[in-house]
Amino acid sequence: MAPLSDTTDATTDASADDAPAALPGDGLREGIVDALRAELGDQLLDTHLVPQTDLWVRVTAEVWQQTGAVLKSQGFDYFCFLSAIDWMPSPYGDGEDDPSAADEDDEPAEMTSGYTGGDTRFQVFARLTDLRRHVGVTIKVDVPESMTLDTWLPTFAGANWHERETHEMFGITFEGHPDMRNLYLPGEFEGYPLRKDFPLLARMIKPWPGIVDVEPMPADDTDDDAEGGDGS
Amino acid sequence: MGLVDRGRMPAPLTKLFNIGRSYSMWVYQWGLACCAIEMGAAFASPRYDVMRLGVIPLPASPRQADFVVVSGTVTDKMAPAVRRLYEQMPEPKYVISMGSCANCGGPYWDSYSVTKGVDQILPVDVYVPGCPPRPEALLEGIVLLQQRIRNEDMGAKWRHEEYSSLQASNTRAAANDARKKALKQSGKRSTDDQPTPEPIVVGGGPIE
Amino acid sequence: MTMLNERQQLSYIAAQAADARLNVELETDGMTLNIGPQHPATHGTLRIIARLDGEQVVWAEPVPGYMHRGYEKLTEVRTFPQVTTLINRIDWLGSFANEVPFILAAEQLMEIEAPPRAQYIRTILFELSRIANIGLFLGDLGVQMGAVTPAFFGFRDREYVLNLIEGATGGRFHPNFDRIGGLKDDLPKGWINETKQVMKRLRGFCDEIEDLLFGNEIFQSRTRGIGVIPAEVAKSYGLSGANLRASGVDWDLRRDQVLPMAWDKADFKVWTHPDGDSWARCWVRLQETREATKIVDQLIDDLPAGPIMAKVPRIIKVPEGEAWVSTENPLGEMGYYVISKGDLGPFRVKIRSASFNNISITPWVLKGVYVPDIITILASLYFILGDIDR
Repeated sequence: MAPLSDTTDATTDASADDAPAALPGDGLREGIVDALRAELGDQLLDTHLVPQTDLWVRVTAEVWQQTGAVLKSQGFDYFCFLSAIDWMPSPYGDGEDDPSAADEDDEPAEMTSGYTGGDTRFQVFARLTDLRRHVGVTIKVDVPESMTLDTWLPTFAGANWHERETHEMFGITFEGHPDMRNLYLPGEFEGYPLRKDFPLLARMIKPWPGIVDVEPMPADDTDDDAEGGDGS
Repeated sequence: MGLVDRGRMPAPLTKLFNIGRSYSMWVYQWGLACCAIEMGAAFASPRYDVMRLGVIPLPASPRQADFVVVSGTVTDKMAPAVRRLYEQMPEPKYVISMGSCANCGGPYWDSYSVTKGVDQILPVDVYVPGCPPRPEALLEGIVLLQQRIRNEDMGAKWRHEEYSSLQASNTRAAANDARKKALKQSGKRSTDDQPTPEPIVVGGGPIE
Repeated sequence: MTMLNERQQLSYIAAQAADARLNVELETDGMTLNIGPQHPATHGTLRIIARLDGEQVVWAEPVPGYMHRGYEKLTEVRTFPQVTTLINRIDWLGSFANEVPFILAAEQLMEIEAPPRAQYIRTILFELSRIANIGLFLGDLGVQMGAVTPAFFGFRDREYVLNLIEGATGGRFHPNFDRIGGLKDDLPKGWINETKQVMKRLRGFCDEIEDLLFGNEIFQSRTRGIGVIPAEVAKSYGLSGANLRASGVDWDLRRDQVLPMAWDKADFKVWTHPDGDSWARCWVRLQETREATKIVDQLIDDLPAGPIMAKVPRIIKVPEGEAWVSTENPLGEMGYYVISKGDLGPFRVKIRSASFNNISITPWVLKGVYVPDIITILASLYFILGDIDR
């Protein structure tokens, strides 16, 4: 990966067509965290920084709407996406197992959250980008028991469809959203497909034919053998 | 054609009509997904040029169409519309199912929102396998459909009887010999009381 | 904050007037027009419900979902190498470009990087799929306005690019060529020479389209000042790609982020346009195609030698973690948020596809336009159904 600079000043005027002099470094990302903490105080629960790569923050559900507004005022005015995660391990395995032989070791794996932690099964996450400073941030929030969150619609008009999709796929309601109809699925569809406990019926009937793909090759004793390592 | 209505057609006249029908087919393009682009390449691009086969690819309405190419993934949300547009087409009508998704669900065989094959809602005459099939494959499907139409007994089709006595008696064997392609037996596929013909699979081989 | 030009102001006024008309008693009996889901002008199966007042749209809403195939769920039951087969089919006109961000995200989690030659070839194929994608857009554009000839030109010259992609990858449409750690294969013999000729030809095609279409008076009067999207609105809806750049926002992920790809080795210009109307969007795409041919030319000139595959284990298990990688795809910003739990397959993949955001603006932008403009605006926003519905 190309070396990154820690210089924070990467503002370019709109007509410049060459690459910016400096791409964002960790110093800039720490600055973003500090600025956000100044606004939110201890409602900013956790942050995670992968060096030279990306930034995650987690806030409480109370300030979810406010976080969007604060970040927008700090320059993150480009709305990238909003969606949710179901952290529950899938009760149906990862799809590689034969469903008929599934009930042998049904020790359910423990629920773990990813970067910046989390306490609930569902998390909503969104991403905003600062087009001037060339930096993005992923914001996560725990979804409370009531499965409702405030909408981001007043801040980002683009959140409309994303929140509808999240509602449809996870059953999370966004308070203040005017129109929580289904976006994708026909009206009579039951269940929330992206929840981990939503079964794929076709897989219940027929095992995944691609299982053979991931079986270890018997004659392959040189481990970590790269395929085509000397191509060209 | 009152002769057809009464279900009686002299064989030479049938042949003549069939030749006429097979070379002036209006196709309703049903672009749904990736295959629609390959269908577009077959129909609209100068390289493949479907019009040389006597197929006219531009009716904007299913009511003028002789056959329809269902190309792409049919979803459960789309299925009622697909069925309705099919019902709007005048008889005699034919269906070409293009691509793995329309044939059987393709890579989305385990999806929660995809109809596993358009043959669940319409009777399909020709299956064109591939993901997506090349335009040449679609053209072959059209040629095979034209062969079938040329051998059809229109009277029998009108009476919804045994699918095609002409075809059954002599030409099927000839076509088989010539093409050496196994036509798949699939009696259980009939949706209505109308006897459905054995579907053609481009390139041969079984459907399921 | 934003300075609106005259066209944008006029369009604003028209939208406001349409808005006001809804609330005032003067409203005549409206008519609801249902376009699609299967309509020749909607590029597939997008359905648009428009409420009309005379010839003017007062309210419009697209109904997506007719092509929803459940990618995000299906990726959870596939292994990492299997996912690329699936995601190829999201934006089916620029398939190779769909694979790249996912592979990059997986590589980021595994902390490996493709060798330089693989990066170059990836970038070349990425740009070729951009040309194949936008080439069809440029051809199709005329059809929406009654000019059929450009479509034939578009399909004709697109075939040359598809031949190149097929020559290199074996797949005309869905190459499935990208592997974690590199590429499946090296370029075949004679490919580079052929590519050079085709790129020259494609530049000719761009000139042809520019003469034929962009200089045409009818085309201009149907696109100039129609469907204006100001930069602030575009950003808050998350528009990306040429749609964003046509609103004057200078943002291109090829240039503005660090990725293990070869774009920084090529010299290209990111075109923007201040107007934000349909014409600007089409024009920016035309320029983008030209730039893409130049990128390909430059990259095949200094293609480095070396391996095309990094050292990766035979059975790929991606370490636990989360990664977000997005690239500037033909349609706009396409990104994958990949969460891995250390298994063979991803735990969750959020697919951020460009058309989803690009089309979510239609209720806003269609307000106050005339019925024939619906088609040109949709054409200029340029979406692919698989990319909206996933």
